Amino acid sequence: MNRALRVLAALWRLNIAEELQYRANFVASVFGTVFWIGTALLTLALFFRHTTLLGGWTYWEVVVLLGVFNALTGVIEAVLRPGIGQLASEVRSGRLDLVLSRPVDAQAFVSFRQLDVWRLTDVVLGLGLAGYALVRLGHVPSPLQVIAFAAALASAVVMVYAIWVALMSLAFWFVAVENLSVLFDAMYEGARYPVSAYPGALRFIFVYLLPIAWTTTIPASALTGRLGPEIGLAAVGVAVVAFALARMLWRQALKRYTGVSG
Amino acid sequence: MIRTYAALIRNAWLVDLQYRAAIGLWLLWGITEPAIALGIWWAIAASGPIDGYARPDFARYFFALMLVNQLTIAWDSWYLDRWIREGDLNFRLARPLNPVHESIADNIAYKARSGGVILGLWLLVAAIWPAVRLPLDPTRWALTALAVLLSAAMRFFISFTTGLLAFWTTRASAIMELHAGVGLFLAGRVAPLALLPPALASVAGVLWFRGMISFPVEVLTGGVQGAAALQRGFTEQIVWLVLWFGAYRLAWNRGIRRYGAVGG
Repeated sequence: MNRALRVLAALWRLNIAEELQYRANFVASVFGTVFWIGTALLTLALFFRHTTLLGGWTYWEVVVLLGVFNALTGVIEAVLRPGIGQLASEVRSGRLDLVLSRPVDAQAFVSFRQLDVWRLTDVVLGLGLAGYALVRLGHVPSPLQVIAFAAALASAVVMVYAIWVALMSLAFWFVAVENLSVLFDAMYEGARYPVSAYPGALRFIFVYLLPIAWTTTIPASALTGRLGPEIGLAAVGVAVVAFALARMLWRQALKRYTGVSG
Repeated sequence: MIRTYAALIRNAWLVDLQYRAAIGLWLLWGITEPAIALGIWWAIAASGPIDGYARPDFARYFFALMLVNQLTIAWDSWYLDRWIREGDLNFRLARPLNPVHESIADNIAYKARSGGVILGLWLLVAAIWPAVRLPLDPTRWALTALAVLLSAAMRFFISFTTGLLAFWTTRASAIMELHAGVGLFLAGRVAPLALLPPALASVAGVLWFRGMISFPVEVLTGGVQGAAALQRGFTEQIVWLVLWFGAYRLAWNRGIRRYGAVGG
């Protein structure tokens, strides 16, 4: 474990050193994030011109959720997305051998080897937005609510990662698919709004099949006090299960890879 | 020229055939955004129509939007950005044919396939869900075809021209994304233009965005009624198409001269 962390730290140090050469990207990244938060808020304002509640949520409650959504997007864009294109091409060309023969866990290595450090600003901006919305709500979360939120948010990160690993594993079956992350984007698009806003069938899918609801709706609910603090524990449980399933799928996928190359 | 196009389209069709899975994924992405918008409006309209839009109206609007958007969307800015930055443009320039023709042929082949899939999906859904059924009115479908054709041409030249900005900047793709972000509202992707705040809707009226998606969609759903409204919409589309074609000619001529200068 300790060694894995040292490897990770070394990889990220290299990445950061490389990215620091392109400081204009930082400005572009912040500008892009602010622009997309702006369009999301405008979309929301448009909905709320014609209603006072969305799935039972007020405007500022949904903005809290949007802040969580944006913070998670930052994690995805900074840590997960940079590596996936590389994995697909490695599976296709057989260069994955070079990764598998390293004395580190292949799943961890493949998932975290690249870091787009500028996109971490999304995390800061997203949490800032959630904080601002809490002020507008006039809601001061109790310490217990903050703890539940932290647990739910950490679980959300794990859950997003689990979904992502499941997708990466698909690269072993559908090698020709370069745009696997599009599948994730399409799915994750649903996390922009509270699940209660969707018609019943869609809600069922988002809670139980593609656990998108757990990534934004649940942390936001924990923070605003819409759900009791014990939801934090439930979130941790779901995250552990999701992670274990994803890990199993990844193992299956790897077996398939070795099967192919002999 | 017709034979050239036939060959180019055939070629593009066969190339696409190899990337069926990837195209399927992009299709999925094209479907989710309107589907989620529909889900939200469906919930909001539970207590009654909003500015004249009842639940089935929203369903028809967003299904029409999926189809129209798929038939008119153009990814060319992204390709050009890459071709120019990585030098793939060179061998295309060496051919005795302007690269724009190949791009047009690619678009025709791609849209014939993906639009067909969406139309098939729509028919399937319509078989079980009456809300999304449209009358089989030949005039309306003919007018829609014309509006879609004009929109596809305009969006192609917008995308191509923006891609050509890569001759001057490294952020051509980012500019196209900004354009898409603005289009969320002004082109009617998030909501029918009638539901926008009046100030925003009037901006959409003077720019090219209405002709991109909203107008063809509303022709199809019957939201645009009367000769005067139709005439206005088509005039807007033609004027903006001509202007964007002019912008494309300008950017191409200037850019190619500059590109040559850089490449030696």
